[in-house]
Amino acid sequence: SRRRMKRTAPRSTLRKIIKKHKPQLRLAANADLLFESFFFFFFFSILKVHLSFLLFLRRLAEEARTNAFENKSKIVKPEHTISAAKVL
Amino acid sequence: PLKLLQPKPIPKRSGTSQRKPHEPQIARSLIKEIFRHFVKMPVTRDAIKIVEKCSERYFKQLSNDLEVFANHAGRKTVEVADLEVLMRRQGLVTDKMPLHVLIERYLPLEYRKLLIPIAVSGNKVIPRK
Repeated sequence: SRRRMKRTAPRSTLRKIIKKHKPQLRLAANADLLFESFFFFFFFSILKVHLSFLLFLRRLAEEARTNAFENKSKIVKPEHTISAAKVL
Repeated sequence: PLKLLQPKPIPKRSGTSQRKPHEPQIARSLIKEIFRHFVKMPVTRDAIKIVEKCSERYFKQLSNDLEVFANHAGRKTVEVADLEVLMRRQGLVTDKMPLHVLIERYLPLEYRKLLIPIAVSGNKVIPRK
C-alpha cells in the first residue's frame, strides 16, 4: 500500500520565497477587511500558491514518468526529468 | 508542522568559516515526497536534484507572474483572485476543472474546510466570494 503523502503546506517558507524574489510585493492584505478576514485572505493566497506548486510537481512527475516509459527505463533518471521540465 | 520543515541541526566543525545566510526554500524532503507520490516509480537521486532546481525556477516564475498581475491591476498587493487567474493561465484551472475540484482533490481536509465557502450563522459565507 502506498504511504500517505504529507501535504501540510510550508506556509511561512512559501511566503519567504516570494518575498526573496519580489520584496515589494504584498500578498492579499485588504486593508478594509476585518482582522479575521485579513487572516483568511492571507491564508488562502498561500494555500493557493501551495496548491499550484503541488500541481506543478504532479505535471513534472507525469512527464518524467512518460519519458522514462518511452526510453524503456524502469527508473526515472535525470535526463527524463530535464526533458520533462523543458515541456512544461 | 513548521518545526518539521526546519533543517536538522548540523554539528559544527571547528575552524569552519561562518555559514551563508539561509536562503528560503522548500524542504528537500517535502519536494522529494510529493514528487515520489506522483511519479509512482523509482527515481534516482540526481533526478530529484533536477526537480529541486525546477522548483526554484518555478517559484521565481510564479513571483514574476504575480507581480505582473498585480501591477497590471494597478496594485502592489496580490489578491486571492490573482492566484486563480494564474492557475488558469497555467492551464491548471479550466472550465472542466474548476478550482474547488483541485482543492478537494489535492489539499488535506483541514485546508479544504477553510478554502471552500461555507455558510455560517448570521447568513454569512466564509470566505466571501
